[in-house]
Amino acid sequence: MTIKSGTGQACAACKYQRRRCTPECLLAPFFPADQPKMFQNVHRLFGVKNIQNLLKELRPDQKVTAMKSIKFHALQRDKYPVHGCLFEIRHLNYQIQMAEDELQAVLQQLAYYRQQQQQQQQQQQQQQQQQQQIAATEDYMSELQLGVAPPRNAPFSLEDNNVVPQYNCVAPQASYSNSGNVDYSINYLDFKENNNVVNSFCEQQQHQQEQQQQTYSNSNDNNTSSMVVHPAHLIVPQALCVQQEIGQDYNEMHSFFDCVDDTQSYIGSKEACDSSLDSSPSKDTRQLVHEEMAENELKSAAAFFSLTSVN
Amino acid sequence: MASSSSSSSSSSYSNPPCAACKFLRRKCQPTLCIFAPYFPPEDPTKFSNVHRIFGASNVSKLLNDIMPHQREDAVNSLAYEAEARLKDPVYGCVGAISLLQSQVAQLQKELDATNADLMRFTTINNNNNHGRVAGYGGGSDPNYSGFSLPYSNPGGEDANYS
Repeated sequence: MTIKSGTGQACAACKYQRRRCTPECLLAPFFPADQPKMFQNVHRLFGVKNIQNLLKELRPDQKVTAMKSIKFHALQRDKYPVHGCLFEIRHLNYQIQMAEDELQAVLQQLAYYRQQQQQQQQQQQQQQQQQQQIAATEDYMSELQLGVAPPRNAPFSLEDNNVVPQYNCVAPQASYSNSGNVDYSINYLDFKENNNVVNSFCEQQQHQQEQQQQTYSNSNDNNTSSMVVHPAHLIVPQALCVQQEIGQDYNEMHSFFDCVDDTQSYIGSKEACDSSLDSSPSKDTRQLVHEEMAENELKSAAAFFSLTSVN
Repeated sequence: MASSSSSSSSSSYSNPPCAACKFLRRKCQPTLCIFAPYFPPEDPTKFSNVHRIFGASNVSKLLNDIMPHQREDAVNSLAYEAEARLKDPVYGCVGAISLLQSQVAQLQKELDATNADLMRFTTINNNNNHGRVAGYGGGSDPNYSGFSLPYSNPGGEDANYS
């Protein structure tokens, strides 16, 4: 006959053991009377004595947690008589392994897609750059056609660098031939993007000037106005022109050479040249030649500075 | 005579007692002892742990309730659980289970987030391919089994879609 405890019904442990459930019963707080199966599982696996020994070594706050784990342990052993808790442990290990494998596969796929996206972005950037270059060259061509291009012939071809600009046929006849060159070079400052075009144009200018100077030096043309002075060859053509035009009066040429050869100090020596020219017998012709040379030198110097700023 | 007695005594002790019978200090008969196949005398710690946590009678009852070919696995699991309980009297092997459960939950969360990123990328790629439907086996890599990859176009065809 089971003697009930003071609080009420006997606990499941005492009820199972058919003994008196006292208030000092250690198992009463953990095994309520309405859960007899729970105690049976625990009792079957551990035994009452072993449970009491386990709880005896723990603090009061640890007892509750320990009893929960013991109940879970017994429940697992009841569900899986052969493996018990190991069944759950192996199952969880399997789930972890599967999840890790799946995560690795998904991360590899993500890396693959990110790599593809980066490649697409790079391709788009390259295409944009090419389009910008094409647009720049098209703008350049349109500018050429609008009014900056040479008046008669076909516009300057960007692809064929060996084509010589056709405007040169006008230059040898005009006195201010360099003006056309200066204007053209100034307009080229706007197209700094296409350096190849500018460089090729400069090279063609040099080649053209060299050809003109060579033909002029070989001929005995008395047309002083047809002097074409190139900025890179400022000294030589002037010397050649002077030698051919004023070759007869050598004594007077010496002073004239002094003011003509010194190109960098042209501005400072201009007055000296003027004064030297004033004392010459043929004042009118020398003055006319001098004035024309001064104008040409100014224009060529301007063109030279503009071209150097482009480079 | 002495040799016969010694031989008779040696014959009864030809097989050393198992760890359980040695611990319990009782006569071990290999044909009758239920612990003998699973608790060899070379490893006495195994049975002492099991006996301290579960008790010999409970273990013998448990082993008698299961099939003989399953008893070795049962003994091994009991030995593991007993050792875990001795190391951690509060949680025992349940502590390992809770730790594994938290790892599974964390991995699942990470997997869900990564799958969401992957779905986003596949959606973007499908939009970039102008409605090309993701299909199975359409240039898919066999390493990526279980996931459908979008149709992989050569570079030349995509150049027109700039």
